[in-house]
Amino acid sequence: MMTETLIQSDREMSAPAPSPSLALELSALSKRYRVGGGMLRAARELQAVSEVSLRLRAGETLGLVGESGCGKSTLARLLLGLEAPSGGDVLIGGEPLHRIDRRALARRIQPIFQDPYSSLNPRRSVASIVRLPLDVHEIGARTERASKVVEMLDIVGLPRRAARQYPGQLSGGQRQRVAIARALIMRPDIVVCDEPTSALDVSVQAQILNLLMALREELGLTYLFISHDLSVVEHLVDRVAVMYLGRIVEERTREQLFKGARHPYTQALLASALTPEPGLGVPDAGLGTVMPDPTRPPAGCAFHPRCPRAEARCSQQAPAMPPVGTPGGRAACHFA
Amino acid sequence: MALLDIRNLRVDLPVETGTLHAVRGIDLSVERGEMLCIVGESGCGKSMTSLAIMGLLPRRAQVRADSLTFDGIDLTAISERRRSDLRGARMAMMFQEPMTALNPAWTLGNQLIEALRRHRRVSKRQARERAVELLERVGITAAAERLSQYPHQLSGGLRQRVMIAMALMCGPDLIVADEPTTALDVTIQAQILRLIRELQQEMGTAVIFITHDLGVVARIADRVAVMYAGEVVESAPVEALYARPGHPYTRGLLECIPAPGRTAPGSRLQAIDGVVPSLVGELEGCAFRNRCPRAEPCCAQTPPFASLEAAHRARCHFAATVATVATDSREALCS
Repeated sequence: MMTETLIQSDREMSAPAPSPSLALELSALSKRYRVGGGMLRAARELQAVSEVSLRLRAGETLGLVGESGCGKSTLARLLLGLEAPSGGDVLIGGEPLHRIDRRALARRIQPIFQDPYSSLNPRRSVASIVRLPLDVHEIGARTERASKVVEMLDIVGLPRRAARQYPGQLSGGQRQRVAIARALIMRPDIVVCDEPTSALDVSVQAQILNLLMALREELGLTYLFISHDLSVVEHLVDRVAVMYLGRIVEERTREQLFKGARHPYTQALLASALTPEPGLGVPDAGLGTVMPDPTRPPAGCAFHPRCPRAEARCSQQAPAMPPVGTPGGRAACHFA
Repeated sequence: MALLDIRNLRVDLPVETGTLHAVRGIDLSVERGEMLCIVGESGCGKSMTSLAIMGLLPRRAQVRADSLTFDGIDLTAISERRRSDLRGARMAMMFQEPMTALNPAWTLGNQLIEALRRHRRVSKRQARERAVELLERVGITAAAERLSQYPHQLSGGLRQRVMIAMALMCGPDLIVADEPTTALDVTIQAQILRLIRELQQEMGTAVIFITHDLGVVARIADRVAVMYAGEVVESAPVEALYARPGHPYTRGLLECIPAPGRTAPGSRLQAIDGVVPSLVGELEGCAFRNRCPRAEPCCAQTPPFASLEAAHRARCHFAATVATVATDSREALCS
C-alpha cells in the first residue's frame, strides 16, 4: 500500500507540470548507444545514462560527481541538446527541451568545458570567439556586438587588449576566462560546467572558481557543476548528485552528503579524497579491483561487485531510488 | 651517502625564440628507501628533472650538472650503454599513461619476462614465476592467466598495476614516478597510491614521486621539494612543509585549494595572481616576485637558500618570517 502511494505520488511529481521556480527538470532521462559491432560481431548496447531524474531550482548549483565513464558528460550533452535522449524528458524553465528552438535554447543554457586548449578555435581572435554566438544568432548591430564583447571581457576579468589576441597567446586560466565569456554573452539562465578547472593548475583553479562564484551571484546563474574533485564540489555547490554507471545513486544537500553520505559508493568516494593533511596516510576505501563493463552492467545493484557491504540480494535485486524531492535526500541502496 | 645526489642540475632546450631554461640549477638528494615528492605546477621543470635523472631527455636537450651521481656512479660520465644497463635494472620509471611503458603488441607476460631477462641471468621459467608473484602482489587476480593478455584488454587501473609490477621486476633501488595516478579516478588513485607506498616500504626502494597534487603529497611523502619556474624553492620533511611553509609560493599553493574546515563553502578562495614568468632567456632575482604578496625591492636579487630547521630550506629573503606566520593569515604576511 505504502509503496503504491509512493509510486503514484512520484508519477504525479514527474508529470511535466511547468513550475516557474524550476530552472531545469530531468525526468527518467536515458541515453543508449550502440557500440562495437562489425561484420561478425553483434553491436552491444551501452546505457550511458539511465533513468536520471533531477531538479534544479533557479539560482541553485547542483554538483554532479562520479568517476570517468559514469555518464556525467553524456548527461551534460543531453541537457545542451547536443544529443537526443533515448527516453525521458528535459524541461528547461518548464518547457520541454525538444520544443525549444535551437536559437532560443542558446539563451537558456550554455556550456563551459574542461579543456580550454581544445574548446577554443586557435585561428580566431578572442574577440571573434566571444562574439561568435551573437554573430550566429544575429543579435545586435556590429557596433553593439563589439561593445558587448568588451563588456564580457571586463566581467570575466580579461584585459581589453586580449580581444585582439589568439588562444595560443593566452595562459590556461585566461583561455578558460574566454570560454566563460563566450558562454555568458548570450546571458543564459543555466550554465553546465563540465570539469571547468580540471585542466588548470591549482593556483589558477582558485581564480576561476572565484570568478564562477562571483558570476553566479551577479548574474543569478543556475549551475550544473560536473566535477570529480570533491573538495571543489564541497566549496561550490548547494546540492550533490552522485552518479555510478549511468544512474544517480545518491542525492543530498551539500551538508547532508559530506557529513552523512549513505550510499557505499559515495562513502568510498569521500574516503578516497586526499585532503592535504600529512600523517593520515592513504585510506583504504575497501573497494575491490573489479571494474564493471558498462555494456554488461552487473545484475542487481550495479555497484555490488566493488561494494564492501554487498550481500546476496544486492546481486539479484536492484535497489530502488526514492523519488526526486524526497526530504532529507535519497540513495539507491538496500542498506541506506 | 645519498643514493642519488644532484648538484646544480640545469636542463636547457633550444626553442624558436632562444633557449628555454627548463631546469635552472637544482640540488636534490634521495636517501635509500625514501619517498621524495617533487611538487609543482605545469612547466615548473619537474618532469624534465625526472627525465634528466633517467637519462631519457630528448637529444636536443642540454643537461649539465656539477654532480649527478647514483650510488656513487657519475651518471654524466658513463656511456649510454651503461646508462641503459642501469635503467630498468637499478632505476625504473613509472609514467602517467601506462601505455607509454607498455608495448601494445606484446603480451603482458612477454613484457614482464623481457624486463627481467634483459638485465638478469634467469631462466624464462624463473622470470615467469617472478612476473606472476609481482602481478599478484600488485593486486591482479588470476595473474597466471593474465600473462597471455594484451594491455588493451585491461582497464586503466589494471594497466597501471601492471606498469608498477614491470618497474619492480628487477628490484630497482630507485623508482622515478611521474604523475602515475593523475589520470585515474579517485577511488583507483587511492588504491594505487597505497600500493606504491606499501611496496616501497616493504622493498626499501627509494621513490621520486612527481605530482602537482598537494593532497597526494601530504599522504605519501617523507620529504618534499617544491619547484617553481625551474628551481627548487623549498624542501622540507612533509610535516614541516605543511605546518610551516617558508616560501610564499608554497604557502600560496596550500592556501588556494579549498579545504573543508579551513575554507567556508562559497567563500572567496585565496588565489595566486599573475602568471609564471617565461623561462626563455635569463631570469634575474626571485622568479616568484611578480606574483608574491611579500615582494620587496631586494627580491630583484636572487635569494639564498635559507635554512629554517633540520632539513627545511626555502629560497626566499624572508623565509624565516614567512614560516612563522600562521597559515591563513595572508594579511599578516603582506603587512
